[in-house]
Parts: sequence; C-alpha cells; structure tokens
Amino acid sequence: MAIVAATWDMYEMFQAVFQAPTYHLIFEALLILWIIKLIFSKSYAPGKTVLTEKEKEALIEEWIPEPLAPDVPDDHPVLQAMNNNIISGKADMYVTIRGKKCINMATMNFLGMVGDPSVEAVTIKSLRKYGVGSCGPRGFYGTMDVHLELEDRLAKFMRCEEAILYSYGFATIASAIPAYSKRGDVIFCDEGVCFAIQKGLVASRSLIKYFKHNDMEDLERLLLEQQAEDQKNPKKAKATRRFLVVEGLYNKHGDICPLPKLVELKWKYKLRVIVEESFSFGVLGANGRGVTEHFGINVEEIDLIAASLENSIGSCGGFCCGKKYVIDHQRLSGLGYCFSASLPPMLATAAIEALNIIERDPGICQALRNNCRKVHNGLSKLSYFNVRSDPLAPIQHLYLTEPSADRDLDMCTLQKIADEAIKNGVALTLARYLEAEEHHLPLPSIRVAVNAKLSDEEIDKVVATISEASKTVLCTSSL
Amino acid sequence: MNTGTTRSDDNPTHSVFSNKGMWLTYVLVVYFVHLLLLSLPFISTDIVWTLTNAIHALVTYTMFHVTKGTPWPTSTGEERLKTQWEQIDFGRQFTPTKKFLMTVPIVLFFVASFYSRYDKVHFFFNLFFLLLTVVPKLPMFHGVRIFNINKW
Repeated sequence: MAIVAATWDMYEMFQAVFQAPTYHLIFEALLILWIIKLIFSKSYAPGKTVLTEKEKEALIEEWIPEPLAPDVPDDHPVLQAMNNNIISGKADMYVTIRGKKCINMATMNFLGMVGDPSVEAVTIKSLRKYGVGSCGPRGFYGTMDVHLELEDRLAKFMRCEEAILYSYGFATIASAIPAYSKRGDVIFCDEGVCFAIQKGLVASRSLIKYFKHNDMEDLERLLLEQQAEDQKNPKKAKATRRFLVVEGLYNKHGDICPLPKLVELKWKYKLRVIVEESFSFGVLGANGRGVTEHFGINVEEIDLIAASLENSIGSCGGFCCGKKYVIDHQRLSGLGYCFSASLPPMLATAAIEALNIIERDPGICQALRNNCRKVHNGLSKLSYFNVRSDPLAPIQHLYLTEPSADRDLDMCTLQKIADEAIKNGVALTLARYLEAEEHHLPLPSIRVAVNAKLSDEEIDKVVATISEASKTVLCTSSL
Repeated sequence: MNTGTTRSDDNPTHSVFSNKGMWLTYVLVVYFVHLLLLSLPFISTDIVWTLTNAIHALVTYTMFHVTKGTPWPTSTGEERLKTQWEQIDFGRQFTPTKKFLMTVPIVLFFVASFYSRYDKVHFFFNLFFLLLTVVPKLPMFHGVRIFNINKW
C-alpha cells in the first residue's frame, strides 16, 4: 500500500541505522574508504611504456635523418620523359610531340571525347557561365546545378538508384573503400588491381587478402579458409564485414574480370562486391554501361560500382553508383567527397555532354570494340611482342617475347621502341608504375590505348610502325 | 578530422561525459526515474529505492560495459572491440568523470540500504547490483573479457 511509505518518519528511519547489522556497517565503512581512495587517486593512462634514459639515448643514437628531398640522378627516366615528351596543342587523336604529328596511342581517350568539338563548345559555354573552379567542397557552397544533373544522369545511365560525384578519379575508389571497410573487416582483392585501389585498401586499415589475378579457384580457397575461421568463432564473424574488390577491366593487364563467377561466389559466401569500372565504363556492354552489361548481369547484384570519368568520358573526376542507402553513406564518410573542392562545373558539363553523345549513339561503343579487335589482331601478329590483353580491351599491353632478367634493361629497350615509333608518327607510352609501392608489379610493357575514332588505315599504320620500330631497335641492339 | 565542429577528435565518445552539465544531467535522470517509480501505487519506498538501484545498474552496465564501438561514422574502427567505458577519456583511469561514475552507484547503495532499513534481502540485491556496476569499472578489468563474454 502506498500509504505505508508516507507514514514512515525520519526518526524511525534513523533508529534503524543504530540497529543495522554489524556486517553492513563494516561494508559501508569500507565503501566510504574506497570513495576517499578514489578521490585521491591520480589519473593515469594504462599500458603506456615508460622508457629509461638509457633506452631514450639508444633510440636517438639509432635514428638516421633522411634528406627532405632525395637526390635525383640526371638520367632519371621521369626527367628524360619530361624533356623528350613535350607536346604542343591538344592531346586528342593526333598529338604533336616536339613538332612531330603523331597518332595518339598513349592517352586513354577511348571514345574520342577529348577533342570532340561539341564537348568543347559546351564546356566553353559553361566556363563563361560558372567560371573555372567551384570554390568549395560539395557540402560547403561547392554544389552547382550541373553537379546534381551529372549525378542524376550517371545514375540513370548506369540504371542505379543514386550516383555520387568525386572531383578526382584516383580519389574516387581510394575514398569509397575506406568509407565502408574498417579495421577488423576483411577485403578479398585481386592481385592485379590498379594503384588507386591499393591505396584505398591501405587507408581502410582492414585485413587484405589478395588472390591470384582472375584466379577463381584461388579466391574460393581464401573464402573457404575464411569460412572455416568464421565457423570457429561465430561471434567474431558476426562483427566482421567481408568485401570483394575487383576491377571490371584491369588497367595493369588489359583483361576482364569473370563477373558471373564472382557474383556466384558473392551470394555463396556472403560478400559485398565493389567493382572498379574506370576502364570498362563506356567501353564494355552494348550501351557502354560497363562490365555488368557486358555479362548481362543485373546492376543490383553489385553493391558498389566506382568509375573514373577521366578515360572514356574524357573529363575529370569520378563517380560511385549503387543503391541509395549505400551511396548516401559516402556523402558524410567519403573523405575525397567531403574534404575536397568539388569538380569544376565546366568539367561536369563536359561529362554530361559526353554522356549525351554515348546515349544518342551507342554505336560509338561498338566502333570502339571493333577497333580494339582490329588493334588486338594486328598486334598479336607481331613477332617481338606477346599480347595477353582481351581482344575487347581498349588497353593492350605489349610484353617482350624474350624479356631479359633485368627489368631496367627491358624498360630501356621498350622506351627505345616507343621513341622510334614516335619518330615515325605513332605516339606510344610505357606502362609506368611506382615500382617500389606496387603490390604486384607486372612485367614491363608498352601500353597501347585504342581510340574509337581510329580508321582502318590508321590502325594498319600503327601496327606497321610498331612492327618496324621493334625490328629496328631489337635487331640493331642484338648486333 | 573535423566533423562539422571545432572538435578535432574523430570519436566523441572519448569526451562526451566531460561536457558541461553532463554529471548533473546524469544525477537528474536517475532522480527522475526514482520519482517515476515512487509515483507508482502499491510499491513501498524501500522497494522503490532498491528498484532504482537495480535499474540504474542494469542500464549503465549495458551502456558502459556491453555496448561496443562508436556510432560516429568518422572513426576508422579502432574502438570496434572496446566498450564505451574503455573509450571514456581515451581509456585513462581514475579521471574525474570515471571517479564520478564509480561514486554514483556506491551512494545509491547507501541510500537504498538506508531506506530499506538494512534489511537482509534488500542488502543482497543491492550488493549484487553494486558489484555489477563497480567491479567492471576497476582498472584491473580494463579490456578483460571473462570467459570471452562479449569479446566480439
């Protein structure tokens, strides 16, 4: 009864204190002592290592300062390239290198959007309207109508719910991966992924498990290992996210990922799939929608698609697309999105116009594929080179048939062939990597980028020139 | 990394209990819960105090020692396996906040014992909930998962 409480009076209560059991009083006294101890204890950080003076001195002794800027030898390949590869004018289908007009097989301008007159006209118009820069990140006065329009258009083009626009192609995937995958998560990744993905993997601080390039058995082996580990510790497994990161079309190898098998493994082992489509977007598929369209796979089966707008689209920046709730997460967690000035509006307009061109006439993608096949067939016949790229890939890597044991020597040989080709009117470039930082360094190669607007005669000329140049260089050097 | 404020720490769980008025709010919440229980009919004052102690213990135990990680998206996941208590004040021991949070259940125990007139049954329950709140807060239990309970 509630009334009972009200009838207690304080006198009776205090009487109870004197009749309290002894054990209780002792316990309370101990607690009071504990509170007093608590008040006078000093705060400290646990697990902090304290170094003795001797250890400190030993550490200082051991330290060797590195120079702020390392000495660069005068014959460094980058310095040489800077002197030798000075171009004037636009780097579109034809490029002028030191006054010599060459067919451009070096720039990844797959659909010929760089140098397209309608794209240029629209961009100049946009420049007059918006100026050059956007003067702020997207969340801080940097959003223009064209950014929203481009995101909308990209989402519609890729048949996704939403797209998010980044201002730099490299930062797109390098920000997208760490936005989702954190410490304690596991990422399964192809060995042949490009440098931007590798940087994203490092930034995610997750556990990275590389499988052999396009080797589904090796991937399944890793997945089974993970499954066994998960069964041992189901509670840990519950708190671990598992990601699969692949490229649609591999820049370093020029081949296509086996997406149907990857999707099958995704459902079987409960993975989240991130596909990097920088080199397959606008290239593969009947309408240029990338590797999903190429294999006829529903785009909803892929959790996240990231692509750069710097290759096929010929603009700048990059985008991610997928489900709305997946993409929205990046608007606060994608570091490259939050903390970088947004894409200059004129470049967004250029990308919109490029999308218009692709949507108006998907035949351009067909033309690119035809050219890729022709270039591939032509290059496959060369005697001094191995071509292992996919016939549909706009990136064809030419490896030496008889490489030496010395990587630098091979690079020099290939550079001589490229220089010789430039003399004869075909601009070539070597596939260059930050060799010390790459996870899995591919063999030295000449990277041929195919343009959709090349005519049959031009392709024949390219193949003939490369053939001649390789003969000239390799025969004279062997003499 | 800044998340819209001037705070440069990417995990606000570290310092949220050091905010102005946080201690007062804590005490007031406990007191209001107590008043709410008092307003219920058919429950006597002694039971209400023991109930207040019990609810306080269970709620704070869940809050500080069961819940892990941080809800803030800016964190890179260092604290995914750390309980909230282990994150408070960057894991430092005997900071003012931690002293305060350790003292509150002890005071609650005193009050509950007083109002239950040092009854044995009440003592048993109050002691149990006192240990439940104070023991996991002790420095020697920092990062300890007995029998791997709540390890992942």
